[in-house]
Amino acid sequence: MSEWFERRVAAALHADVPLGADERARQRVMERVRVAAAEGHPVRRVGRPWHRVSRHSLVGLSLAAGIGGISTLSAIVPAAQRDMGQGLSSVVLGDTVVATLRDTLRLVRLMFDAPDARRVAVAGDFNRWNVAATPLARDERTQRWSVTLALREGEHRYAFVVDGTRWVPDPRAERSVRGENGRIYSLLSLSRTAN
Amino acid sequence: MSDRAIIQRVLAGDAEAFSSLVDRHYPRCARIAFRIVGNREDAEEAIQDAFLRAFKALGDYEDRERFSSWLTRILVNQCRTVLARTKKRDAVFPDLDPHRLQFAVAAETDDGAWPELEHVLERLPAEQREAIVLKYADDLTYEEMSRITGAGESALKMRVQRAFARLRALLQEVPSV
Repeated sequence: MSEWFERRVAAALHADVPLGADERARQRVMERVRVAAAEGHPVRRVGRPWHRVSRHSLVGLSLAAGIGGISTLSAIVPAAQRDMGQGLSSVVLGDTVVATLRDTLRLVRLMFDAPDARRVAVAGDFNRWNVAATPLARDERTQRWSVTLALREGEHRYAFVVDGTRWVPDPRAERSVRGENGRIYSLLSLSRTAN
Repeated sequence: MSDRAIIQRVLAGDAEAFSSLVDRHYPRCARIAFRIVGNREDAEEAIQDAFLRAFKALGDYEDRERFSSWLTRILVNQCRTVLARTKKRDAVFPDLDPHRLQFAVAAETDDGAWPELEHVLERLPAEQREAIVLKYADDLTYEEMSRITGAGESALKMRVQRAFARLRALLQEVPSV
């Protein structure tokens, strides 16, 4: 493959297209944005994102939703005052944080230790095994990777994906299963009674 | 003003500030979308939907990721949606006159535009087209492309290589070039 050809293709692909300079097209975007703004978008979050709210806010959210599991939540919260890296304290199930969000949704915090990784994501049935959809964030102080998910009740299979290619089951998971492709997946069971 | 500062203004209630992001990123989005979906109408629709989704989800955006990367990921998904919808339609690109291919390489212009290349892009498998467009229309690294597409870096490199080979064959480039 000649470098000449590659350079020519690259230059051609990088060339702007007429649509990019179309002022009316940009205005049409803003027309739709204004409609969305009138409908209340974007939803403005006060302070930190929802998955980084304090345990008090989380309890408040749960209470406001009028949901089950509050007693369980209240009982376990005192034991969850350990530092969770990014400030979330809530219900602890093993090393996985679980809190009730609504009747059928649970907040789950997954953590993973991989100090040398450049990026870590979690792929599972809840995100259709998309290795890019759910990245974990690294806490600079602890070097621990974590992410908080809102998952439906039921059983979920998942694995961590390190640097986009290496699949690693969750060392903290209580159960795992071997997939048809031979890969080991972790199992997370979320049920109203268990949490 | 940085993207981050603009986003803060939007989240503070100034929706009009979003137009600065549209102005800044629209040409880049147009390069990507037009070359992935293959026609202006669908490209504009994909871009509109991407900006609208980004606006609505701005409260979820976290600045550990560049806004441009976040927006590109949304845009690529919208392009995929458009392509899936148009898959059964007639070819998006008009077929080339075989005689014109004889001078396709010579038809490039000084500003980098290469009309025949735009046409034959459609002949690439969607994954190869998406990979080579992201690589060169947006100057992305393979790591960034991996985050955006969900594909592994080695797979993306392979797709780009195969795209080059396919384009070369389609353009009937002479072997000595």
